[in-house]
Amino acid sequence: MLRLLNRIKATLEYLGGVTETPAVQSFGWLQGPIWWGVWWAALVLLILAFSGQASRFIYIDF
Amino acid sequence: MVFNTIPYYLFFLFPAAIAFRLASPNLRPWICSVFGCAFFVFFSSDRRGAFCLAIFIWEALFSRLYRKGSGLCWIGVLQSVVLLTIFKYRNFLTGLYFGPSDHNPWHWYGAFLPLGISFFTFEFIHYAVDRYLGRAEAGTPAEYMCFILFFPTMVAGPIKRYQDFLPKLRNPVLDSRTNWRLGCTRILSGLVKKFAIADLMTAFTDHLNRADIAVARRWVLPVWLLAYGVKIYFDFSGYSDIAIGSARLFGILVPENFNWPYFRTSIVTFWRCWHISLSAWLTDYVFIPLGGSRVSAGRVYLNLFVTMLVSGIWHGAGLNFLVWGGWHGALLVLHRMWTQWRGPARADRPFYRSALCCAGTFLWVNTGWAFFCMDLSTASVFFHRLFWGQT
Repeated sequence: MLRLLNRIKATLEYLGGVTETPAVQSFGWLQGPIWWGVWWAALVLLILAFSGQASRFIYIDF
Repeated sequence: MVFNTIPYYLFFLFPAAIAFRLASPNLRPWICSVFGCAFFVFFSSDRRGAFCLAIFIWEALFSRLYRKGSGLCWIGVLQSVVLLTIFKYRNFLTGLYFGPSDHNPWHWYGAFLPLGISFFTFEFIHYAVDRYLGRAEAGTPAEYMCFILFFPTMVAGPIKRYQDFLPKLRNPVLDSRTNWRLGCTRILSGLVKKFAIADLMTAFTDHLNRADIAVARRWVLPVWLLAYGVKIYFDFSGYSDIAIGSARLFGILVPENFNWPYFRTSIVTFWRCWHISLSAWLTDYVFIPLGGSRVSAGRVYLNLFVTMLVSGIWHGAGLNFLVWGGWHGALLVLHRMWTQWRGPARADRPFYRSALCCAGTFLWVNTGWAFFCMDLSTASVFFHRLFWGQT
């Protein structure tokens, strides 16, 4: 269970740009430019879908 | 708003990062400084705030006088504390003594906060103290100006250390392909955390007011509070992702600020993983100068509690923030007492025990958010309704 959680954590960190290479060997295909283009497009679509609300970051003007 | 605006990327981040990469090493600090000045003026919400750029100019000049063991370093610390007190705490402190604003002769009706004052004053203090102790070199004036005006981290951190930042400024990562891939991914991830998760929670957290709490069903109150816990994590970690990703476009690695804090199994490890740069700053410049852990047990408890009170009041000028800090101080003290009595947690403990500890830590931390997001009287109404069903 712990190993599975660690693999999920490492994968999420790679997808989020925290680590440079995937920690999980079986995800080696995630390093290609096409994959990154698809992933970025998905992130941009998510941002556009939810960005209609006007809001500020909580920690600004602290 | 800053990081979720188009001008930030089109007028500041992308042009500055490209200019930084193309410029000679001697020009790079000046490029950051000029863009930082323009950034501060552009995003200051108040026109008077833009004039507070003079604070950075004064700091850049005065800090040239710092030497190891020099009393001028302490004057520098005092200046930063006075600045923070005047802008952020004047009305709160005078209000404690005189009462409401109409009875308070010292109330500042036009009060405003210079952009990022809570963060840049902490960087000023760090530099002054570390110059006094001989832990940081002076660097060139341009390098120090770049440090204090580095706009990706100016507004809300991560709080940098000069001795960590300087080598990275002098030798940035020049692999542009990797810098832009990781930086852009980090920025996009941060924006998704902000827009797709944190902002969605607003539908719940907007109900954390006295009127709605008074009429809500009891079972929905912890849901609203949990939503706030989710919101503040994704909001602030999302912001930190954008700041770290923005810095990466320059080839400069700034400190991480979050490391899965809600999955930690104790309040101590939570604070090692939540707002990491602030925790480290408080440890180095408040906890350790008070004596740290190298004093009697009772004194250690006091040092922990006082450090967290400082953390609380730093987050906001209000008694509720002081209570929030005290809440976490008490949790840290209780945890220390527990580990001294029962010993530290075993590394080979069963998974279910770790899960229980994680759930317990999450519960205590999220209970504390009630004092963070509501004033004391509203928080009191919240807990009365939650535990006794009354207002």
